[in-house]
Amino acid sequence: MLLPSHAALPDGALPTLDAQQLGKEYRLYDSPAQRLLSLLANRRNYRSHWALQGVSFQLRRGQCLGLIGDNGAGKSTLLKLLAGTLQPSCGTLARYGRVTAILELGAGFHPDFTGRQNLYFGGSLIGIDATQMRALEASIIAFSELGEAMDRPIKTYSSGMVVRLAFALVTALEPQVLIIDEALAVGDQHFQKKCVERIEAFRNNGCTILFCSHSLYHVQRLCDQALWLHQGHMRALGPTPEVVAAYEAHVRLQQQAEAPPAEETAAPALRPAPDAAHIEAVLLADVQEPSASTTGSCGRLDSPHLRMTVRARTPEGVQPHIGLLIEQIDGVGVTSVATHFDGTQPHQDSTGAWVATVTFPDIPLHTGQYKISAYLFDNKGLVVYDEWKDCKRFSQVFAQSTPGIVRLAHQWS
Amino acid sequence: MKTLAAQAAALWHARSLCWTLTRREISSRYAGTALGVLWAYAQPLLTMAAYYLVFDVVFAMRLGASAPTHAVGTYLIAGMLPWMAFSDALTRGMTSLLESASVLQKNALPPMLFPVRAVLASALVYAPLLVLLVFAYAPLHHFAPALMALPALVVLQVVLCMLWGSVLAILTAALRDVMQLVTFALSLGIFLSPVLFPAHLVPEAWRWALWLNPMTAWVSSYQGLLLQGAWPPLSHWIGMAVWLMGGALLLQVLLVRSRDQLTDWL
Repeated sequence: MLLPSHAALPDGALPTLDAQQLGKEYRLYDSPAQRLLSLLANRRNYRSHWALQGVSFQLRRGQCLGLIGDNGAGKSTLLKLLAGTLQPSCGTLARYGRVTAILELGAGFHPDFTGRQNLYFGGSLIGIDATQMRALEASIIAFSELGEAMDRPIKTYSSGMVVRLAFALVTALEPQVLIIDEALAVGDQHFQKKCVERIEAFRNNGCTILFCSHSLYHVQRLCDQALWLHQGHMRALGPTPEVVAAYEAHVRLQQQAEAPPAEETAAPALRPAPDAAHIEAVLLADVQEPSASTTGSCGRLDSPHLRMTVRARTPEGVQPHIGLLIEQIDGVGVTSVATHFDGTQPHQDSTGAWVATVTFPDIPLHTGQYKISAYLFDNKGLVVYDEWKDCKRFSQVFAQSTPGIVRLAHQWS
Repeated sequence: MKTLAAQAAALWHARSLCWTLTRREISSRYAGTALGVLWAYAQPLLTMAAYYLVFDVVFAMRLGASAPTHAVGTYLIAGMLPWMAFSDALTRGMTSLLESASVLQKNALPPMLFPVRAVLASALVYAPLLVLLVFAYAPLHHFAPALMALPALVVLQVVLCMLWGSVLAILTAALRDVMQLVTFALSLGIFLSPVLFPAHLVPEAWRWALWLNPMTAWVSSYQGLLLQGAWPPLSHWIGMAVWLMGGALLLQVLLVRSRDQLTDWL
């Protein structure tokens, strides 16, 4: 159940963002002295590094483009070019209407000034003058929930408070083009949800959005177009599912090349605070506990059916959704299910925990090892409150396995 | 001069922002002090008062017969205040790009906004003081009409600082050593000007060297104006024009060559 596309506009509509053959060259000098020399003598005494080359695309009103790619592929450079904080070395860029970039929040705040003073100053940096700000002030303060703190110096704020003020400020005016760089992880869960809702509202009003994220789930859920950058070049541009699928395949190949997956030794993901929404347990009812005799650390699925239960807790009155992802042990996705995909929802048990159980009857998996990841979403499936990646594993033994990973319903004729 | 004109147009377009930035620059410099902005005026005022007290009241030192005035303190102040204004504006302009790196990297703003606002912030402090000098020196020549040239001199000096401050800001962005070099040059430069001693005391053979200092034309003009009520001669105006044009040309070249990389260097 992906969100409906808003791209259904007449072809004659003018693009709000038009990039043609954009390129960004970084000139590498052997020393800063060479840099000065090049300024004064105009000599070609540098090596070129093209962070971005030949990027062209057009976005119309209401379109949402997801930007994906490996680290160092030029995503941030492209976002900065579009936001206007970097100048392109070649190519042309046309932007129509108000462009808001949520790249690095809180730039230009002065720690010794109060929240209110910084609000007026920060506003002037993004083109909101004092008269306009007086009209917007109340709504910005309400959104940031800072209240009394507005008249304290910013240096007394927590980092979350600064980010709340900064987000409320940059999104105070509705933009025609919105550029977001993974800024969805802003503040606490409650504020994250407000941010996402505001961005959704812009989108519904026809704002063009450019969204850069490592979260392929969000790219798939929010964007109707995706652009895959690879080493500064456009590798693919088109409908999201196709581009994301191609990119996923590329990522898997890369991970296989890097011998043992480093992910498992990485530091555990940040757990939400105990009073925030979190997953409490993931249970696989029919999987045997792994015993010493079985190879590997996987328990064996002891039933033709796969039953998975997720228990989660949320603060009072927050209705969550629950999702599960089944992958082969090497990371090839098999399937994903979520309560909001299927138009259902978890139910609350007597202790107040949210419980959802999904059953795959006669699971058509071939012999192999599989891993489960569990996700806790907000009521729209946009904010990820908690995720337990690779939290359970099981092995499946299917005697009549043939090449391939699943049995699909089929007919011969 | 197309790039320079485009920058100037962008600055004009962002003039209200420039004004906000300028006021903020001054207030942030003294944020947390009890007297606040008053400190900005106190420092040059107290220095001038000290010169007057030490040279004219306590020691009552005298300049030679052919000097434009005989009191050393009176002579010193007329040249020293413009020189301090120049030195302060140029230094602040030069470091402005580096200091505002984080703002510039995260907001789409014309880079030259920052040297210009640093020079403006400095001018807001010194320009009123320079104009006030008129009243202190008027009794020497009973408000000579030539004093009307003073605002023009002040404005041209601000433009000079904007141009050369921007030039130095770009050069400093490329190579930090420029900053050290210029600070050194400013502390020595005062000897290469008629601030401390009248130009006629400099040996004839070396007098041309005074014109290597951009402020020589201004300082001499201020001194003639304030001490004798004399209009600045054509040679001074030409000296000013040369330094202004030179700054504009150099800035144009640097803007073109650093265009798409300036923010990366900060």
